Amino acid sequence: MKPDLKVTETMNCDALIIGAGGAGMRVAAEILERKPDAKIIALTKVSHPQKSHTSTAQGGLAAVDPSDPNDALAFHMFDTWKGSDCMADQNVVKKICESAWDQILWLENRGMHFSRDQYGSLSKRTFGGHTRNFGEVSAFRAVFEADRTGKGIMDTTWGECLKQNITFISQCVAVELLIRDDRCFGCIVFSQKTGTFLRILAKATVIASGGSGQVFNVTTNCRQNTGDGLALVMDAGLPVMDPEAVQFHPTGIVGPGILASETLRSVGGILRNKDNEPFMVKYAPKMKELAPRDLVARAIESEIREGRGILHPDHNIEHVWIDLRHLSKEVHEKQIPEVNSFFMHYLNLDPRTELCPVRPSNHYHMGGIPTNEFGEVEDGGRQVIEGLYAVGECAAASFHGFNRLATNSLLELITMGKFVGDRIAERIDAEPNSVKNINGEVYKKKFEDYFEARGENNTGRIRNSLRSTMTQKVGVFRSEKDISEAIETILDLKAQAEQAALNGQSLVMNQELMSRWELDNLLTISIAISEAAMHRKESRGAHFRDDYPNRSEEFNYHTILSMPQFGQIEIGWREVDMSIFRGGEVNYEKFDIIERKY
Amino acid sequence: MGTYDITLNIHRYDPEEKKSRVQTYRLKAGGITRFVDLFRKINDEDDPTLTWSSSCEHGQCGACSVKINGKPLLACELLVENAVDLFKTTTFDVEPLDNVAPVVRDLVIDMEKAYERVHKVKPFIINPKPPPAGGKEHQISPKLMERYLEATRCINCFCCTSACISSTRKFLGPNAMLAAIVRAMDPRELEKQERLSCLFSEHGVYRCHSSFACSFVCPKQIDVAHFIALAKAGALQEE
Ligand SMILES: Cc1cc2nc3c(=O)[nH]c(=O)nc-3n(C[C@H](O)[C@H](O)[C@H](O)COP(=O)(O)OP(=O)(O)OC[C@H]3O[C@@H](n4cnc5c(N)ncnc54)[C@H](O)[C@@H]3O)c2cc1C
Ligand code: SF4
Ligand code: SF4
Ligand code: FES
Repeated sequence: MKPDLKVTETMNCDALIIGAGGAGMRVAAEILERKPDAKIIALTKVSHPQKSHTSTAQGGLAAVDPSDPNDALAFHMFDTWKGSDCMADQNVVKKICESAWDQILWLENRGMHFSRDQYGSLSKRTFGGHTRNFGEVSAFRAVFEADRTGKGIMDTTWGECLKQNITFISQCVAVELLIRDDRCFGCIVFSQKTGTFLRILAKATVIASGGSGQVFNVTTNCRQNTGDGLALVMDAGLPVMDPEAVQFHPTGIVGPGILASETLRSVGGILRNKDNEPFMVKYAPKMKELAPRDLVARAIESEIREGRGILHPDHNIEHVWIDLRHLSKEVHEKQIPEVNSFFMHYLNLDPRTELCPVRPSNHYHMGGIPTNEFGEVEDGGRQVIEGLYAVGECAAASFHGFNRLATNSLLELITMGKFVGDRIAERIDAEPNSVKNINGEVYKKKFEDYFEARGENNTGRIRNSLRSTMTQKVGVFRSEKDISEAIETILDLKAQAEQAALNGQSLVMNQELMSRWELDNLLTISIAISEAAMHRKESRGAHFRDDYPNRSEEFNYHTILSMPQFGQIEIGWREVDMSIFRGGEVNYEKFDIIERKY
Repeated sequence: MGTYDITLNIHRYDPEEKKSRVQTYRLKAGGITRFVDLFRKINDEDDPTLTWSSSCEHGQCGACSVKINGKPLLACELLVENAVDLFKTTTFDVEPLDNVAPVVRDLVIDMEKAYERVHKVKPFIINPKPPPAGGKEHQISPKLMERYLEATRCINCFCCTSACISSTRKFLGPNAMLAAIVRAMDPRELEKQERLSCLFSEHGVYRCHSSFACSFVCPKQIDVAHFIALAKAGALQEE
């Protein structure tokens, strides 16, 4: 009664998109606009593309409006470079910033419901880190669709694909990339709904599988963000870049991990520990609550580490309080109604009269699959893997370096998405017969092992231990001691996972099987994050080492990490592109190695 | 806060045996745990085979809809203490959404099938108005947008379709109607004729009996029935 793991069907297409979030859909829409006859298959792990994580992004997307006399491309490029802690690639920064406004128009002209000003033009708002005149004053640079900008992008890009006849396969996962001799020919897909394995052969394969937030136990990311794309390339022997660059938002709402916006602090919210003490004054005597994200996150984490946090009884998670009780009725009603409603909805708390529990929450993965400025995936020697592309949060081109600015991620999806679409449209013409008949080699063994495992261990519990270990040891604060403990735990959990027997032997919609497979991916990414964090003996952007609290010139390079076998790590490096600086044009000196001070 | 002893009678379905049954789970839970947390707790501590759906887990994606004591709602938004308050009991009947699409397993319905209703109304701009010259956005007055903005908030959770008695028959359902209505009202859509024939077809708004069940259950508090009434009254276009 062994389940049948053989491939039951082979499909052919021009382009295969692994992940139908904002990034994947933008790629597909571009190819279809240029080549309406192209055959495209898009996969998604969720029940329908619209359920992808992109739909939950709220704030906005940054783009310099050429008709705005106060803003300039150079300012946006500078902010991105500075925010990245001098680790973004300047060729990519330039390309994305320059094409930003065209991509906003692309979305608007195709029906996205951007918020408007009184004249009917696109409204703009400001976000932390976005400035005019190289850091002088805040810039109003982010266009938005109320508090659902990501949903607008998702609905629009998905709608355009639907209009142009794309094939969607939902509730399925890519389980193995078909790569031979540095060329990618497609992948093996497991369809959960039918319980069957498919082979999809494609002239171009795009990984657009999104983030990896589930590595941590408090995250703003959705349930499916288990970093599958990163694990897929690592399993194929390819490297990931800067995996240690993980962003934490200082104020996630305890429990669900929902983002409690920065606004809470800017309107005067006060952070307090278990003794009710307003502790920010100890960490940032002048700026207090208004200090930058990473500093606030570290302050909260310190309070918790030193025993001044509060343990949440229902969620078993430690936190601090944000106090909003003293704010006026006006502020509550006009300035923070949405976040207030999250506290009311998910915690049954009234922020006007009660303290609200928050803690740093994993938010965004800057690191990912290394690509060039066209989104083509590269190996450790900067050689392109032909026919393989990566775009969106799973990729690292790198636009964000070691710290992503608010509203720059959605921008990356739609700009890089377009570039990849352009590239693939050309490839389809140039390589009419590039499909090759090759078979999967490793997925079968993996799934056989899952079904054959005997033992009492429970996948869910192993996953929980992994996630709390990562939060405690490789989260906001890192040190050699903590990271090595984490690595040991991860190796141990890997061994435990191998002894986790499945309770059901079915292949059809077997949630435990999926979660077992995801656990392997989480373990792979956890080890990559930990090892790279260990290697980087400095603090930079979102990566903070207790034992090396300063940035060090020695580490002015991207980490390139691969893992030929689980736990066996090879670390290399990639130069940071500084072409704007080297170009020597007006303001070039702003793009030198500069301090990240706000 | 406090702790509750909860009983969940979960309607399960095994696609291979083609069999349905109700399984009872008893668990302790804090007042502000949500129903998705309860399902996860069952998976981690008791029965890893229980299958359920979610994605964002904060009311933004519409992937987690189920029926609890007969009411369609988002499992990620329902706190235990609120459920106890609402239904005056600590025993809950948990079922997959009905009237929408076949069940795949346990609480998971076939969302791809469900969405076919939405796809039929073409949830995009069929014939876009050419953009203004010189690479600019369309000017749309906030006042005009205000008329249909609420309808764009729909997350296709299908709670309304499940609650709508007409949706079992030919009616495409309230959320599909909303998607069509948005574009009928959007000044950037030039193809109004096809929009209107779809809305007024035999699968369209005339199937609605104005029961308001859709507006009542919508977790995003969208007044769906209001938009359908606007369409029926031929009042979608600006006067
Ligand atoms: C709460 C929140 C708010 C945010 N707000 C903003 C904001 O205001 N501005 C901003 O710029 N950024 C914001 N971000 C970040 C931004 O939303 C994400 O980085 C972005 O949406 C990622 O898009 P994506 O297309 O790369 O991935 P996703 O939208 O996550 O899509 C990934 C797709 O891949 C599929 N997939 C995954 N694995 C597999 C597999 N193995 N096989 C097949 N398919 C697979 C998934 O199902 C999904 O369809 C926010 C993030 C969060 C968490
Ligand atoms: S008002 Fe119309 S659409 Fe809404 S539930 Fe009633 S019959 Fe269905
Ligand atoms: S109208 Fe409301 S209930 Fe219906 S699908 Fe949309 S969000 Fe859900
Ligand atoms: S999981 Fe997204 S709405 Fe509930």
